[in-house]
Amino acid sequence: MPQALEIIKKQIGEDEWDEPYYVNMGPQHPATHGVLRLFLELDGEYITHCDPIIGYLHRGIEKLGETFTYSQNIVLTDRLDYIASAANNVGYCLAVEKLMGLEVPRRAQILRVIVCEMARIASHLLWLATHALDIGAMTVFLYCFRDREWLLNIYEEICGARLTHTYPCIGGVRLDFTPHIIEELYKFTEEFPNRIPEYETLIDVNRIWLKRTKGVGVISGEKAVNLGLTGPSLRGSGVRYDLRKTVPYLIYDELDFEMAVEYEGDVYARYRVRMKEMRESNKIIRQCLDKLAECEGEPVIAENAPGLFMPFDKPKRPQAAPHPKKVYLIKGVEVPVVPEGDVYVATEVPKGELGFYLVSDGAGHPWRMRIRAPSFVHISAIPDLCKGQMVADIIAVIGSIDIVLGECDR
Amino acid sequence: MGLIKTVFLTEIMKGLSLTLRKLFAKPVTIQYPEVKKEPAPGFRGRHALVRDPKTGKDRCVGCYRCAQVCPSRCIFIETERDPNTRKRIVTRYDIDALRCVYCAFCVEVCPVNALVLTEFYEYSGYSRDELYFTKEKLLQNWDEFIVTQKRPYFNPFWKPRGVPEKMLPGPKRKAEGI
Repeated sequence: MPQALEIIKKQIGEDEWDEPYYVNMGPQHPATHGVLRLFLELDGEYITHCDPIIGYLHRGIEKLGETFTYSQNIVLTDRLDYIASAANNVGYCLAVEKLMGLEVPRRAQILRVIVCEMARIASHLLWLATHALDIGAMTVFLYCFRDREWLLNIYEEICGARLTHTYPCIGGVRLDFTPHIIEELYKFTEEFPNRIPEYETLIDVNRIWLKRTKGVGVISGEKAVNLGLTGPSLRGSGVRYDLRKTVPYLIYDELDFEMAVEYEGDVYARYRVRMKEMRESNKIIRQCLDKLAECEGEPVIAENAPGLFMPFDKPKRPQAAPHPKKVYLIKGVEVPVVPEGDVYVATEVPKGELGFYLVSDGAGHPWRMRIRAPSFVHISAIPDLCKGQMVADIIAVIGSIDIVLGECDR
Repeated sequence: MGLIKTVFLTEIMKGLSLTLRKLFAKPVTIQYPEVKKEPAPGFRGRHALVRDPKTGKDRCVGCYRCAQVCPSRCIFIETERDPNTRKRIVTRYDIDALRCVYCAFCVEVCPVNALVLTEFYEYSGYSRDELYFTKEKLLQNWDEFIVTQKRPYFNPFWKPRGVPEKMLPGPKRKAEGI
């Protein structure tokens, strides 16, 4: 064998022998969760450098947002993180409501929290399914999808869609729950805590799973903060930062739940955080359902909500109008156009901190809509996370930070 | 991991026993082409124009609200005035289903509930023309859909649950099933 090596060395030259080896991983690799391309520089099996290349799913959502009215933009936010689209809708609606100074009715707030937490469970289930499948655990994939299907069926009853919900609207939500949905959700919250131990039986102490995840992709809390990681990826490194707790929005300050934190900072810790979060989300849904019974029959949309119709342009002669800008959007209800100004609202979506920065010039459409997508920030952390790791560990690292390319490329 | 656990593969045995138990559980898979999933009421599927049982025609009044609110701009309407009665006649009502994003904004804003996203979901086609619905096709969609439904049929977006009545236009407040 050494003889053969000598011959090869002679053929390709002594200098090239020590040169790094370059590999393109993706954009069509099934383990890159979409269309992420990683340009890897390898030294044998070890990664010396990694370059994420993005933009394969760019649809210009931020620019499109400037050509749509505020209400129509809700449809665009569905397509950001399409695994948990209700959470994106809520984040966007909160930003517009803050800009307009709208007060959302209590019942609508509770309904929003419920769909947000359902989205969190649905997202984490899909994450666990694909992450486990990447590492090699096929059975978990099937079990997770079985439970996600249940949630999607409930979503279908709530708003008529399974993936792109468009459920909240500016000033509230579009439809109230039916008694059947509440019944079904009670059933789900009772059954789901029994389902989580099933996944844990399969992978929690499984030696293959432990070997693939423990001590892989380690990141310290300080570095995670510096890289801008948020959500479970940050909490896996022991940083206590959850927007639902630190900057409570909606009715999160009234709810009793714990922040899931682990301290190791490796792939396994991030997995534990998400498993814990699913349990906490289940608890939140349960509490919200109880709260829902207290405000039975209340409206789910603010009375001064702009409705789906918003004027696209500014009023033509604002200086000539004797009154402040007013348009009649719904018969008999006077609604001001969105005032000038800018606003940044961040919400805790399953992937991390999703922020919407809206700049308004007084017209019915945003002058600028900037989206701070957690996946985009998380992808920038991949080079640091997988430096010095083996090629096979990249799969675990990409899976553990939970990226969705629809949100990253926008 | 202790020595006994390492040697006897306890955790793997536990996992295997779980999958073995699941072998005898009721399957969750739906054998799709043979068994069809019943969509929930209000599922946003194929478009249809409601055929009014009284007049036998569509209800559209040509107010252009659906076309205006549509985020993907896939509704095309043309109207003209009747020279004698000065009433608006809808001469063209087209929906390009391939551009539609199924948000049901159009159904929600329609003041006379002329439009509906039916619960029918099996309508793939071999060409683009098949999925470009003209007014006749939309009415035909409704006829095909309504025979499969329990009467009276009522779409949740015709009168959204929990929305105060005074926020709805008049005909929507009085909306009834067909």
